[in-house]
Amino acid sequence: MPELLNEQTREEIRQVFKNLKEPVRILFFGTQEQCDYCSETRQLVEEVSALSDKLNLTVHDIQVDDLLAHKFNVDRVPSLVVASLDGQQVSDHGIRFSGIPSGQEFSAFINALALVSGRDSGLSQQTRAFLKNIDTPILLQVFATPT
Amino acid sequence: MALAHQFAMENPLIQAEAVEATEFRELAARHFVSGVPHTVINDGKSHLVGAVPEANLLAEIQRTLELA
Repeated sequence: MPELLNEQTREEIRQVFKNLKEPVRILFFGTQEQCDYCSETRQLVEEVSALSDKLNLTVHDIQVDDLLAHKFNVDRVPSLVVASLDGQQVSDHGIRFSGIPSGQEFSAFINALALVSGRDSGLSQQTRAFLKNIDTPILLQVFATPT
Repeated sequence: MALAHQFAMENPLIQAEAVEATEFRELAARHFVSGVPHTVINDGKSHLVGAVPEANLLAEIQRTLELA
């Protein structure tokens, strides 16, 4: 398959990635079964993660690696998990992408990598104080389209 | 989208999922998603249509927790 990112886009992302601080683990979940966007999503994250040595991609099959998928609450493909990587320790922050992060979602994906790399939400003190005290699970699903 | 991911950073109990609506049409239809962005909280307990500022998302989460 030809490259999905052209050289200009690569260069723009490299500039953003210069500010990455700490290592990030990206987990890709796909399947060998019918999946319209799995191979394209995998290729996209491979191209992106090649642009910084702070990004560490692992590739998984949701059926083969079912325990891992379950651990990360992944039940759709393609799915991406953006987590912290400290040494060998992977820390989940609950940051997920379901479906290919292209179009408008592409910048959201790049932003998520920068967010996790910075290990800081950037939110106001008031918001942080409230969120830290939440003791029941919250699921935020933000629907978007590529165009 | 960035905002929901920022919220998730603050608490391991908060999960923020960017869903590509055209790939997961059934899920989008189940939550009556017509325009985007559309945020669904706790599988339909509440909804936010359109992009919203930090204070609004926080307020909606607070409201959802009070409903529970």
